[in-house]
Amino acid sequence: MKHIRALIVILVACMGLPPFTAAGPAENPTDSQPQLLHPVPGVVPAPEFRLQDMDGNWHRLSDYRGKVVVINFWATWCPPCREEMPAMQRAWLKFENKNIVMLAINVGEDEDTIFNFTASYPVEFPLLLDTDSAVINAWPVRGLPTTFVIDPQGTIAYQAIGSREWDDPHILKTLKALRMH
Amino acid sequence: MNESGLIYRSLCLVASFVLVCGSALASTAEGVMEETGLRYWEWQDDGILFRLTQRLPDQTRAFFLARGFDRADVDFIATQCVFQSMFKNTGALDGEVAINLEKWEVRTGQGQSALMTRENWRDASQLQDAPAAAMIALEWSLLPTHQTYAPNDYNWGMTSYGLPPGSTFDLEFSWSREDRRFSRVLSGVECPADIHPQPE
Repeated sequence: MKHIRALIVILVACMGLPPFTAAGPAENPTDSQPQLLHPVPGVVPAPEFRLQDMDGNWHRLSDYRGKVVVINFWATWCPPCREEMPAMQRAWLKFENKNIVMLAINVGEDEDTIFNFTASYPVEFPLLLDTDSAVINAWPVRGLPTTFVIDPQGTIAYQAIGSREWDDPHILKTLKALRMH
Repeated sequence: MNESGLIYRSLCLVASFVLVCGSALASTAEGVMEETGLRYWEWQDDGILFRLTQRLPDQTRAFFLARGFDRADVDFIATQCVFQSMFKNTGALDGEVAINLEKWEVRTGQGQSALMTRENWRDASQLQDAPAAAMIALEWSLLPTHQTYAPNDYNWGMTSYGLPPGSTFDLEFSWSREDRRFSRVLSGVECPADIHPQPE
């Protein structure tokens, strides 16, 4: 009889639980999570590109051989892309020398759209224009934002899908560790 | 078996049922976004966070008009039951997760169908004359058809279900982790109605 009473108590307690919660979504994607870059296994050469920045200067990836290059694919209409821009700017300011480079490749938009965006999100690193999406299609990208870290030898060392806090000490340490000494 | 034994066994069965159902339901959340009044459905368990949030057709119209589509194109896109979606690998120690939207199933009283993926939109005859820049924005604003997420990786993106505004459906979504396939169901998901709220 004791067992039956115990079971009834458990059942009543379980039935009292709400089947659904309506207290708001579980979390935002970047809320209090470890800031991780994921190592890319093997030796994957970073695809070459040649793109113009907002000032009309041309940038080739191979121009940066010997440096660590952070390449971010983004668009102005992409909420997580906008979210990580300030952190990328802060990281840019923390890079101690020119051996770490940051290039943000905009996908499919024109100069005017990006120019207007920079009024709200001022950044100092180069914003490159991939207007016909030829470059993003040549890279292993499936969603925005996606960011790659290229080592000084020109291979893809790390990637991150979704936004990150780029000035997080763990990430900065990872980037600095890749530099040639 | 005496009477108390029979009662005990019956209660055990009921308890098992309640616990199994309870654990599944506890992973599901449904509610209303405080800021917008739009509804969301969410699954969080098994190292996965998957959320659908309603987008009013007018929100989608405005977004794609700003990307360069014409009025007829945005009307077509906006009335295909578009949700804002988020998929995240929350299993910090559980390795990579892969999704393939082509395997997800949309179930209504009329039967089952598939999502409208990037590839479907690219081939949509209604959009063949749309500007290239607009089509690039459409493609990249959708949740990827195929994606692999390392721990803490995530995508935001729209998903569309090809149903009229106001429709209700169940979504069986699936993913694989280390060669094991998992699937779960979000029930009673509601495509937002095509209403036109005015600013207060």
